[in-house]
Amino acid sequence: MEIIAAYGTAMIILAVIFGLYMCWGIGANDLANAMGTSVGSGALTIKQAIGIAIIFEFLGALLAGGHVTKTIRKGIIDPTNITSNPEILVYGMLAALLATAIWLMIASTKGWPVSTTHSIIGALIGFAIVGIGPESVKWGKVGSVVISWIVSPMIGGTIAFILVMSTRKLIFNTDNPLKNAKKFAPGYIFLVGFTISLVTMFKGLKHLNINLTTAGSFGFAILFGLITSLIGYYFIRNIKEDLNANREFSYAGVEKVFTPMMLFTACSMAFAHGSNDVANGIGPLAAVYSIVSSGGEVMQNSPLPIWILLLGGTGIVLGLITLGYRVMLTVGEKITELTPSRGFCAQLAAATTVVIASRTGLPVSTTHILVGAILGVGLARGIGALDLRVILNIIISWVVTLPAGALMAMLFFFTLKGIFG
Amino acid sequence: MPFLSNKPLYGLMRGSPFKPIQEHMRIVFSCICLIPPLFDALYKEDSEQVSDTAEQIKTLETEADKLKSTFRLNMPKSLFLPVDRKDLLSLISDQDHIADTAEDIGKILTYRKMVVPEALKELLDELLEGTMEIVSEAKGMIEQLDELLEVGFGGRELDKISKMISRVRRSEHNIDAIMHRAKKTLFSVERELDPVSVMFWYKIIDLLGRISDQCENLADRLLLFLSK
Repeated sequence: MEIIAAYGTAMIILAVIFGLYMCWGIGANDLANAMGTSVGSGALTIKQAIGIAIIFEFLGALLAGGHVTKTIRKGIIDPTNITSNPEILVYGMLAALLATAIWLMIASTKGWPVSTTHSIIGALIGFAIVGIGPESVKWGKVGSVVISWIVSPMIGGTIAFILVMSTRKLIFNTDNPLKNAKKFAPGYIFLVGFTISLVTMFKGLKHLNINLTTAGSFGFAILFGLITSLIGYYFIRNIKEDLNANREFSYAGVEKVFTPMMLFTACSMAFAHGSNDVANGIGPLAAVYSIVSSGGEVMQNSPLPIWILLLGGTGIVLGLITLGYRVMLTVGEKITELTPSRGFCAQLAAATTVVIASRTGLPVSTTHILVGAILGVGLARGIGALDLRVILNIIISWVVTLPAGALMAMLFFFTLKGIFG
Repeated sequence: MPFLSNKPLYGLMRGSPFKPIQEHMRIVFSCICLIPPLFDALYKEDSEQVSDTAEQIKTLETEADKLKSTFRLNMPKSLFLPVDRKDLLSLISDQDHIADTAEDIGKILTYRKMVVPEALKELLDELLEGTMEIVSEAKGMIEQLDELLEVGFGGRELDKISKMISRVRRSEHNIDAIMHRAKKTLFSVERELDPVSVMFWYKIIDLLGRISDQCENLADRLLLFLSK
């Protein structure tokens, strides 16, 4: 207790610095990857993508981020054994933040597709094993998180597959694809607004003191969906068949309808990312803050302060502006193979899956779900060529990330303990 | 080998394999487009122009060859494609054979100073016209690959392509008939001609016929994509 009282402010400052550093890393790489799809398909310029990312990242973190933070904060490790030494938990959380940030840094420079989520869970487990004892890790919960890492890309892929099939059935394989594209596009946009807002609101805005009934949530989601589809209709109403472009490629007009539609999935992608990944980044920070501010209480149940969510969002946006836009440009240049219609399906599927996972408090990987969704499009015979070696890379990076995060967290834990203790 | 390869995430999506195939087919087509001028020069007995045109065909054929090799090198087994990888590789090699045949014809006409028998001229023209037609039909078929990808190799595009395929089949049948007539005519006048030249005329007719056979192979190969 004395340690917390003596060094409390220093600990919070350290946690803020480490947390910002980590969120910066997420923005520089992870978010840039997720948004690059929209840039690549020509739906957004870099500036627009950054603008959308800033707004919706914050909204996502604020409106739907709390649950995942809670899981990171309390779901993985059980601190009952160290209630008399709360500083242990503070060291651990700091170590986990630093370990994740550094591991993300290494991975980004090497180009490895590692996941923030996996690193932080690995780091938390690593710290808990050496700092509290292996029995303090809630292995059951860890198991369900790990299963969600396998299941979530599959769900994303399945939704993407179904969406691609539906666009074929309703739009591409008809006598007048363009007419049908314009007819059904508002429907698809409605789907974006409706699902994202429904999942977000469903019993989930308590931390903002907004309590909606089930019917109220549905009503608002429908309203929100209608508004988005109206905005979408405004964008696509004037698209006409370009006969010159059609000579080259007869679905050029249809793809043009999907281009502004990607605007909406880009927003939802940033929102989903904010709801899951920001929450990951600030979970340990929130834990440190709550321990210090309560004067060493490990088990207390204080609500998550909004400023921490905002801090996470700021870090991510900083990362995006300083380094992420370059990643976004590269990704955008490389992913030209994804036509707007396929990009739309993949992003909508990924965003929906991530937001659902966030609601249930499962820390999942946005990037991996997006990859799963792209595979789903591929399975629907919708993409020219997918390199499965990248999938293998993802699986290897999975296996490496958990122990790497754990080992680094152990190292930093003992270092911090040495410094403060 | 590094533990993790440095393949970034965006490496997941590779370039569409259909673009290089279409590019290759365009080169093959321009190769075939030079065959009528080649015969024109032959009719005029302008040997310089004949070797000139043959040289152009050869250059284009080499270009097509290069494109084929790069394509093959960029098709690792780890790729996940909407169509069978082997079918795709066979498709480009079938296309390449068409350019090879064009080059063969050019070679014969440069090495041997051939004189076109008067009786054969009309039929040769007919054969050339038919060949041009079938190759441009085959090219049109390949140009549809983009659209096929968009609809997932099914649906409405499938009807369109099936029609194109059956047109190629019909053209091949017609060319066969012209070939028969050409060979019969050649037989009827072969006593008046130099025996070695006659041998080569049979060969040239066969080579022209082979181009249409190869186009039909292309159509059959494409059918494999659709029937999956």
